[in-house]
Amino acid sequence: MAPRSDSQTVATGSGVSDGSDQSSIDPIFHLLRILPFSFLRPPRLRLKIPSFTLPSPMTVYALILLTYFLVVSGFVYDVIVEPPGIGSTQDPVTGTIRPVVFMSGRVNGQYIIEGLSSGFMFVLGGIGIVMLDLALDKNKAKSVKASYAVAGVSSIVIGYVMSFWRKQTTGREHSRIPRRSKTVNGTVLRHDEPFSLLSVPAS
Amino acid sequence: MGGKSEPAKSESMATTTTSPDLINSSFFSFKSLKLKTKQQELLLRIAILGLVYILAFIARLFSVLRYESMIHEFDPYFNYRTTLFLTEKGFYEFWNWFDSESWYPLGRIIGGTLYPGLMVTAALIYWALRFLRFFVHIREVCVLTAPFFASNTTLVAYFFGKEIWDTGAGLVAAVLIAICPGYISRSVAGSYDNEAVAIFALLLTFYLFVKAVNTGSLAWALGSAFGYFYMVSAWGGYVFIINLVPLYVLVLLITGRYSMRLYIAYNCMYILGMLLAMQIRFVGFQHVQSGEHMGAMGVFLLMQVFYFLDWVKYQLNDTKLFQTFLRITVTSAILVGGIALGVGTASGYISPWTGRFYSLLDPTYAKDHIPIIASVSEHQPTAWSSFMFDYHILLFLFPAGLYFCFKRLSDATIFIVMYGLTSLYFAGVMVRLILVATPAVCLISAIAVSATVKNLTSLLRTKQKVSQTGSTKGAGSSKASSKVTLDQSQPFQKNGAIALLVGVFYLLSRYAIHCTWVTSEAYSSPSIVLAARGAHGNRILFDDYREAYYWLRQNTPTDAKIMSWWDYGYQITAMGNRTVIVDNNTWNNTHIATVGRAMSSNEDEAYEIMRSLDVNYVLVVFGGVTGYSSDDINKFLWMVRIGGGVFPVIKEPDYLVNGEFRVDKGASPKMLNCLMYKLCYYRFGELTTEYGKPPGYDRARGGEIGNKDIKLEHLEEAYTTSNWIVRIYRVKPPTNRL
Repeated sequence: MAPRSDSQTVATGSGVSDGSDQSSIDPIFHLLRILPFSFLRPPRLRLKIPSFTLPSPMTVYALILLTYFLVVSGFVYDVIVEPPGIGSTQDPVTGTIRPVVFMSGRVNGQYIIEGLSSGFMFVLGGIGIVMLDLALDKNKAKSVKASYAVAGVSSIVIGYVMSFWRKQTTGREHSRIPRRSKTVNGTVLRHDEPFSLLSVPAS
Repeated sequence: MGGKSEPAKSESMATTTTSPDLINSSFFSFKSLKLKTKQQELLLRIAILGLVYILAFIARLFSVLRYESMIHEFDPYFNYRTTLFLTEKGFYEFWNWFDSESWYPLGRIIGGTLYPGLMVTAALIYWALRFLRFFVHIREVCVLTAPFFASNTTLVAYFFGKEIWDTGAGLVAAVLIAICPGYISRSVAGSYDNEAVAIFALLLTFYLFVKAVNTGSLAWALGSAFGYFYMVSAWGGYVFIINLVPLYVLVLLITGRYSMRLYIAYNCMYILGMLLAMQIRFVGFQHVQSGEHMGAMGVFLLMQVFYFLDWVKYQLNDTKLFQTFLRITVTSAILVGGIALGVGTASGYISPWTGRFYSLLDPTYAKDHIPIIASVSEHQPTAWSSFMFDYHILLFLFPAGLYFCFKRLSDATIFIVMYGLTSLYFAGVMVRLILVATPAVCLISAIAVSATVKNLTSLLRTKQKVSQTGSTKGAGSSKASSKVTLDQSQPFQKNGAIALLVGVFYLLSRYAIHCTWVTSEAYSSPSIVLAARGAHGNRILFDDYREAYYWLRQNTPTDAKIMSWWDYGYQITAMGNRTVIVDNNTWNNTHIATVGRAMSSNEDEAYEIMRSLDVNYVLVVFGGVTGYSSDDINKFLWMVRIGGGVFPVIKEPDYLVNGEFRVDKGASPKMLNCLMYKLCYYRFGELTTEYGKPPGYDRARGGEIGNKDIKLEHLEEAYTTSNWIVRIYRVKPPTNRL
């Protein structure tokens, strides 16, 4: 079909009439030779049909890591629910506006920056483990291996502390307990805390 | 002792010979109990798997120990009712069942609109136990089905891990999946829902398919087809399998891994699986008619084209001619496929993607078009905190595991990577689908743990290998460095490795602690019995739901019809044994909208609608006294939206004040006069709920209600439960003489 005739014309350079030396069984080629290309002259191009080479596994891995970062940061949540970048409260005493990083009160809610930073911590921890494995690879110089090991361990420690330490020390009672019932989450109401009923009933 | 009689192949480690023939030995010493390393390893593996099996079962029993052995939530009550019917009346009655007790006056064809896998499984276990003369009640079997299948899933995860990587990864995968909160959330004891069985079927199908691709055996492919049939009978999420497997085949074709094994595996699984899936009435002919299943058919045809081209290439010895033939064939195949798809879609034979699955690809679709899907809290997109809550350490290990998979690419690792990525993306779109991603995340994390631990322990073992010619210390640079430096760094490396191993065990132990805490606190509530902390920290239970349903069962005529919001329909039919107007199946949006309209209109209009539907009783859920926030007033706006979607007389802004939903004095007049408001707050104005607050203080909304003096004209109060959570009203017949 068409691409074949183009490559033939490129090979021979000047007009189409020279390029049709080789007998072609393609009827469309002959038709095209007569109708537009008897008076039109195609330009001399140096085009190649792009060849498709598969990327290396590690390139694919890097792309996948980026996608993982987006998904775990709650990117889809950000796009649909459109929360603010960071929350804010007004200090009742002084009246100044203070930023609030972690969204409280909702079980499945986040601010954008909160999500992205947590996702980054997870990816950092993962890369730490990868670097540990690279450190144990036998084909490298000792100093390179040592630096990989140190970087790996520190990444894991930083990632773990930033992500999980807060939940341990600030107490489990205040962390969010999700309710996976079929009922709706509060939409426009003011008080939609999860049903833990830790408030004291009328005594 | 010893177990198998294997040939005495000794390992490089220390071996001791066993004396299998005890009769000949002169004395019975403990030396004869020492096993060979291979047998030791087998014993260790079996012991670990046995312990994991038991662990997976008992970790899910919190609610049975705290409350009682009962069915949780809403959907499981329907499954329980159908299973009861199946065991009482037999399979043919069940398969052809038309239920006139729900969706009055329409009824529901239950036999043709449910996935029977779960019910049939529970019934088979029940009949098997009865055959062995264990006369258990079917409810006990239903409650414990989910933990039992969770234990089976850990076994399948072990074999799957063994297939992908090695036995170490398999064992770690079994342990991780036994306690992972993402899986526990839908498989606690009492959560008798389709997912309990479906995750087992999903993992089994995937394992059998990967095994078939690895071995090219027709038997394994047949097994995977039957696994797929089990999955289709169990859950609507089978669409994930029928799209992931063709996608995987496509990726293998693109990466140049086409082989005869793949051809056999996919063809057998697709054709047999499709034929078997058509046996389920609910699925019917969707495999050839629905747009969601067309991908599988397209890849099937593509495989035939590949095989044909391969055969032609083998016959022809001319590469240039083959290139031409290749180009023509591929172009014409794609053209023909495209035309067929176009004709099918245009003529309406191939139906487009249904809203439920389309909203996975385009998450904004449900919010604008289908409010019923958008109103369910499980269908919201996922925030990072939900990920962390359900996965904890696995979020670190997942990217590391992906790295190891990419380092050692094979057909099996490509599959698990694809499964992990696609399921994680869908988990990001909808919270509920974290469950589907859990097996993949556990498997990939297990690979990371296993590979890291293997690396570290091999460091610990290098002392022995240094004594041999240091061939394992590969490149010339390290060999060139003298043995002195090697010996100097040895203890440092060993200490480092030990420290890192301790770190790994610390991380895993924190994971175990987190999982246990989450299971105990968050996922073990039956949600039909509510719990709260009293003034002195003691636990108070509110059993209002069951109190109300049993009141209905004992105090209303048998043909009474109950109108309530669709959430409670299944429970009312199962426990109250009365006819309902709408229930959780939500198959008829107009019927639900009629109920929503009745709830949001004033009493006279609502009375007209209730008379037209023959309603005898109305049931509402009210949380103002206890502070329960999942009551009908909080869901009221969804009633307005769904009702307004069908009947334009209902307009949402009428019920809001400045865009805000209020129930106090400043509420909109339409809100203060609607049926739902009146039924929830009837006689509430006289009640003092909290010390220091005025009477009529709504603890769930945190405000004093607006209209305290409510008079009902066409309804009368029939029953209010002890904590005012469920309120039942009787619809009065029309007045005889005016």
